[in-house]
Amino acid sequence: MAPRDQVRRDRALPDRVVLLGIRHHGPGSARMVAAALAAVRPEVVLIEGPPEGDALLEHLPSLMPPVALLLHDEAEPSSAAFWPFAEFSPEWRAMTWAHDNGVPVRFFDLPASASLGEEPREERGGEPGEESGAESGPRAVLDPLGVLAEAAGFDDPERWWEDVVEHPTGIQLGSADPRDLAAAVAEAMGALREEFADQVDDRTLRREAFMRQSLRKALKETEGPVAVVCGAWHVPALRVLPPSTADAALLKGLPRRKVSGTWVPWSHGRLATSSGYGAGVDSPGWYAHLWECADRGDSVPRWFARACSVLREEDLPASTANAVEAVRLAETLAALRGRPSPGLSEISEAALAVLCGGDEVHLRLVHEKLVIGERLGEVGAGVPTSPLAADLARSQRRLKFPPSLEGKQIRLDLRKDNDRERSKLLRRLAVLGVPWGRPDRTRTLGTFAEAWQLRWDPGFAVSLAGAARHGTTVEAAADRVLRQRAAAADRVAVAAEVLSEAVGCELPVSVLAARSALDRCAAAATDAVELLGALPDLATTVRYGSVRGTDPELLRVALHGLLARGAVGLPLACRGVDDHTAERALAAVNGADDAVRLAADEEHQATWRRALLSLVGMPDAHGLPTGRATRLLWESGDLDTAAVATRLHRATSWNGGTASGATAFVSGFLRGSAALLAADARLFDLVDEWLSGLAPADFDDALPLLRRAISDFSAAERRLLGERVLGSPGSPAVAGEWDEAMAERLSGHVRALLAGVGG
Amino acid sequence: MTTETVLRPAAEQQYAAELAALAAADDRPRPPRWRMSPQAVVTYVLGGTLPDGTVITPKYVGSRRLVEVAVGTLVTDRALLLVGVPGTAKSWLSEHLAAAVSGDSTLVVQGTAGTSEESVRYGWNYARLIAEGPSEAALVPSPVLRAMRTGAVARVEELSRMPAEVQDSFITILSEKALPVPELNLHIQAVPGFTVIATANDRDRGVNQMSSALARRFNTVVLPPPATEDDEVRIVSSRAGQLGRALQLPAEPPALDEVRRVVRIFRELRNGSTVDGRTQLKSPSGSLSTAEAISVIAGGMAQAGHFGDGTLGADELASGLLGAVVKDRVSDSAVWREYLEAVVKERVQWRDLYRACQDLDTSGYSVSGA
Repeated sequence: MAPRDQVRRDRALPDRVVLLGIRHHGPGSARMVAAALAAVRPEVVLIEGPPEGDALLEHLPSLMPPVALLLHDEAEPSSAAFWPFAEFSPEWRAMTWAHDNGVPVRFFDLPASASLGEEPREERGGEPGEESGAESGPRAVLDPLGVLAEAAGFDDPERWWEDVVEHPTGIQLGSADPRDLAAAVAEAMGALREEFADQVDDRTLRREAFMRQSLRKALKETEGPVAVVCGAWHVPALRVLPPSTADAALLKGLPRRKVSGTWVPWSHGRLATSSGYGAGVDSPGWYAHLWECADRGDSVPRWFARACSVLREEDLPASTANAVEAVRLAETLAALRGRPSPGLSEISEAALAVLCGGDEVHLRLVHEKLVIGERLGEVGAGVPTSPLAADLARSQRRLKFPPSLEGKQIRLDLRKDNDRERSKLLRRLAVLGVPWGRPDRTRTLGTFAEAWQLRWDPGFAVSLAGAARHGTTVEAAADRVLRQRAAAADRVAVAAEVLSEAVGCELPVSVLAARSALDRCAAAATDAVELLGALPDLATTVRYGSVRGTDPELLRVALHGLLARGAVGLPLACRGVDDHTAERALAAVNGADDAVRLAADEEHQATWRRALLSLVGMPDAHGLPTGRATRLLWESGDLDTAAVATRLHRATSWNGGTASGATAFVSGFLRGSAALLAADARLFDLVDEWLSGLAPADFDDALPLLRRAISDFSAAERRLLGERVLGSPGSPAVAGEWDEAMAERLSGHVRALLAGVGG
Repeated sequence: MTTETVLRPAAEQQYAAELAALAAADDRPRPPRWRMSPQAVVTYVLGGTLPDGTVITPKYVGSRRLVEVAVGTLVTDRALLLVGVPGTAKSWLSEHLAAAVSGDSTLVVQGTAGTSEESVRYGWNYARLIAEGPSEAALVPSPVLRAMRTGAVARVEELSRMPAEVQDSFITILSEKALPVPELNLHIQAVPGFTVIATANDRDRGVNQMSSALARRFNTVVLPPPATEDDEVRIVSSRAGQLGRALQLPAEPPALDEVRRVVRIFRELRNGSTVDGRTQLKSPSGSLSTAEAISVIAGGMAQAGHFGDGTLGADELASGLLGAVVKDRVSDSAVWREYLEAVVKERVQWRDLYRACQDLDTSGYSVSGA
């Protein structure tokens, strides 16, 4: 039940409570809060946020914003939520003011123990649970000051705040009472709340009930003034106090769980709306700039000076004279639009016209560096962290491997100890769901070197918190995760993947666990194609195993085991299958052949060749893998060209009833072998003869498969083939002569095609 | 007024009534020698209704921000450089800005490969020079010099087509706002209100890249092609209608459907894909600007008025379209033919256009056979 239905029994809020309705991460609101606190000098400050964070407020002096309060469920650490604060966040201003003045400060929103549950997820429509919890719930739907600003025709809510709330009344903060400002905001919110009453959900009502309960408690504690800093949206709900029993009833049955937390460094990028943060702002860098320059009153010139230095760093011309002109243009634009001072839009447009020569690309540079801004907060050493995070920080220091927000490419030489340790760390972190580095597979650097793409994201703190339950060090946690995954593996491919990750992470226990998981899955597997599909990965692992400190023989034995099982099953697996399965089989044969050549010993290579031979000899196997096997055997010299010709003929003849089997065979045979086709005259003539001999209807059927067979040829290869075809017919000597029979056949075919179109 | 007797009246003549009404209704502060306040200039360009009910027609259809930046630049007496592909209304906007700000859009220097320094600085009346010796009376001022003396807007068309050394003679004018005449030991200083609007084309071949010393002295505004098909249809139909009236064409104003058809063809070829994004197309070598779409429609109207039944139809459009699209005989005619077969033919309502284009082809009008 909404509190306003019970007006008669409601009690008005005592005058000593000052409600400061704010816009989260709004520098204008932050100025208001700072001024109001200085004027009111409250004895208790209440801030919107989870009460579990109270214990962490003592670390305030060792924090450098942007930072975030990270709370997670102790039993289920992956269920975590963030409350980020920037220097220009009103909440942060309130905290620091209270700290500097020795005034008790408390978070008074619904406890995280209640909000960490399933509810927020439900509200945000199943979005993965990262930063959020209480923060992004209703505000993601509605930014109340933003709605007012938009209604007034402003593109940036902060602009509106500055122009409408601060400027016209001539309030120079300090001269007029910021409390009047807060009252005006409360007034507007009251009206807005009426209009959007249907947007208030149960969870918001519960949060506000809890806020009122906390407020009652604070009122009992002190006789002096109490300041409340909360989202402007909640102000109307706090202006009257309904009977405490009604609120207590609303709050009944809230889930309870043990919640622990810490402070983590945050970044401006993660505060930006574009990062997906529900309560985010569009231009954190600009807001930080506004906040820093507010006292000096030189925000516009300073902004352009910074923009010029950003451009100059990129070797683009940006002179001080141009900065002067940009300031003039921005101010003229503001005057033209009837605004008291230039806002972000005027400044961006002036920068585009004057500094960037109309080039959007340059402006984007300024936008990324200044408007969003990449600033990473700092958290002092005294702040408690999970043992896992502490271990990671230790490793990063030890390896001289500091996290950075900017993307960076590195190259690691695995023969050097430090580089090898770094590689291990990156791989172990990846296992823990912290993809700090992504292996760059576009470049192959050989066995001893790896290329990585590094980029730290403050959001990784969530995954780290979630992984903390697996162990106290990165090594132990990764080991545990891999062993669990090995134990749960039920398919060969999964087990092989775990094995290769375990080798990469250099975790011997996990390697053994994955090995036995692989054996277990291979024994149970019935599909030879699946078995063979795991080979390429394993072969690479075998190659790298020696560098990685794992005995390669151990892995080779596993590879041989898989190969032996797969080879036996291969011919049967290609019998009587549909085209789709045949494609898979073709890929498996290809991959397995590479793997065998790379990593298998002589004996097993022979086993593999025997398997291919028996596949080729299998009368009713699907054409695709059979054709490919024929090619592979031809390449390795097990079948000579004459034998291949025979096989091709046999394949096309015994399937005589339908041409599709023959086409599949040719397709499997040809795929990826343009050079071979162009170079080997006998092979070429063979294919040529077969194609020319097809009946028109069969040719139509064959076209799609043929097209697929040659579609992965490069343009140059296709041209080569085309030239070969043009140059070849019979012999080049008679190229000028008209082949009546051929022309007749061709024109007949074209006519048939046209008739088909016409009909 | 000479509006009746000239082929194409200047902006300040054609819109004299609107300019007068705007100036009369304008009570905001005006920069020195401006005919109206900057806000009124923006209204003149983008259109609107005055308090007394006078309707101001929109001259430029596009982003309000761009126009505000352009006007703001003129207020700060910086030079304005309008950049864009051909036919994005650079000169059009420059003419109207000059007309609104100074009431005179005729102080123009046309940039060509042969533009000399005299047309930017000053020349001499040689008869007088020989008879009387160097004197101010023998000096022939360039449009730029006249603008400096009267505090007006000077326009420079196609700045990047001028030879680089002539371009650079603007540097002193723009940074010192003064022009030395060493022959007379004179230093002519610009009076407040003087500024320059230049236009430049960033697509054409054979342009002279501006020196960075000169580029630094301009604020640059990039004019984009019309953002949406509806915008472009609006521009083409209103401009073609005006042209038709000005040229006293006997044809009726163009039907919106025909305009939409031409605009769609132009946009599709320009963007390299059909409106629904399903078909990939080749783009011809020309820029297919909005201005060309206007001339196709206007040409079609002339043809319809004089040789047809007075209504613009597929037959009248076909030849204009062909001429607009096919600039390069070999490559463009292949592009056009592909477009006809792949797109025009498939659209049931466009059958008449397809037939008209085919007729052109068979009657030997086509460029491809040559």
